[in-house]
Amino acid sequence: MRYSFFRGCFIPIRFPHVEKVATMVLPELGVHLQPVEGFTCCPEPIGVTVNHPLTGLAVSARNLALAEEQGHDIITLCNGCTYTLKQANEALKADPELRDEVNAILAETGHRFKGAVEVHHFAQVLTDTVGLNRVEAAVEKPLTGLKVASHTGCHILSPPDIMGFDDPQVPVKLDAMMKTLGATPLEYTHRTQCCGWTLSNYGDRNAAARLLSDKLTAMHAAGADSVNVICPQCLAQLDTGQMLAARSLKLDFRLPALFYLQYLALAMGYSLEEAGCDKHRVRDPGFEEKLRRILA
Amino acid sequence: MVLNVPYTYRSLKGVREAAEICLKCGVCCAVPEYGCPAQYGPQFNPKHTYVYDCLGAEKPASNHSIWQCVSCHKCEEMCPYEVSPIHFIEAMKQQALEAGEAPESITGEIVQVVNTGYAFPVTANTERLRGELGLEAVQPTEDLKKIAEATGLQRRLRK
Repeated sequence: MRYSFFRGCFIPIRFPHVEKVATMVLPELGVHLQPVEGFTCCPEPIGVTVNHPLTGLAVSARNLALAEEQGHDIITLCNGCTYTLKQANEALKADPELRDEVNAILAETGHRFKGAVEVHHFAQVLTDTVGLNRVEAAVEKPLTGLKVASHTGCHILSPPDIMGFDDPQVPVKLDAMMKTLGATPLEYTHRTQCCGWTLSNYGDRNAAARLLSDKLTAMHAAGADSVNVICPQCLAQLDTGQMLAARSLKLDFRLPALFYLQYLALAMGYSLEEAGCDKHRVRDPGFEEKLRRILA
Repeated sequence: MVLNVPYTYRSLKGVREAAEICLKCGVCCAVPEYGCPAQYGPQFNPKHTYVYDCLGAEKPASNHSIWQCVSCHKCEEMCPYEVSPIHFIEAMKQQALEAGEAPESITGEIVQVVNTGYAFPVTANTERLRGELGLEAVQPTEDLKKIAEATGLQRRLRK
């Protein structure tokens, strides 16, 4: 399986350790990541595509065209990139008039959208293409006893007919993915509530902190050792956002958040440092000690 | 299906008509565990929900509340009458940008994307972290300026 590797911008710029982990673990599962020169921001949906759809579509079309030129489907590491690119791909494939209009805009860039590739989030590739059996076979150090609250995030769930990942109201895939690694997935009350990253950055910082506090408190009450995410904005909110919310709202616990690929790397035998666990703001010595015991 | 108003990137037709169906039932904002994230915002109260604040404003595109919408689709999933407030709010955001009323958090990001190809600034810290991990530097691109020129976005931003 070879994919055009769409890193997005948040991961290469703010969380390069997640990019590094992806390039370490995914090829071991037969998912080969083809670097593509010239990929840009997807573009970020709430800032760009929502407010100026034609520009948003054209930028997405250029990214999709670059993947078409390589001849491989796109794999992403981000809910937002998946949301933007999948919707643009579907809209452009369904409407020849719109496609012509966008291709006229692209003319000066030398690229042309044809509609020849599909877009997949890495979690979709792992669950639907690689298969969790194969993931399980790669586990050398099962995360036995680690209690994990998974947060799927909004933009990979809806609109479900286009995203095609999981049930927006009762998502189950991330729990299955954590179980595959030997960890114990947890049920908690605010499971499908947004992480609040977008609200924090474009809307209201205090409202987002209150939301995040409710969500983290629910995870903590369920007995979570840590949080599992598959989107860099969710990671930023649950990590850096948690650090800031903990100050303003006086949270009396710390709940480390890791990207799923980091848990996967640990289960495949990489160390905490190799998995980039030391790169986050919210760190808890108790959690790291428990992880080291499990991995010993 | 009570109402079916098709919405595409091209057409905003039907968005306002759909909003008029809203019964103010408040289901979209009723549950902190699940519903609209903006219900955590300052304008929210159970009788005048965030969504109704957006739908019922006299000049909806000038109502600052629209910028709290995160396009998470929760309202669309929950609305019993398929009003899809998200489409209305997104349409108002487009009108606001066109009228030069979008906030700096939005226009700043758009300029950043158009000028560099990335939504977030590449800092010295980025380059240091990437270097330590043995990853190549992030490369800027000029193509998006050409795109934004051709779509009229550059003209709008210069106004």
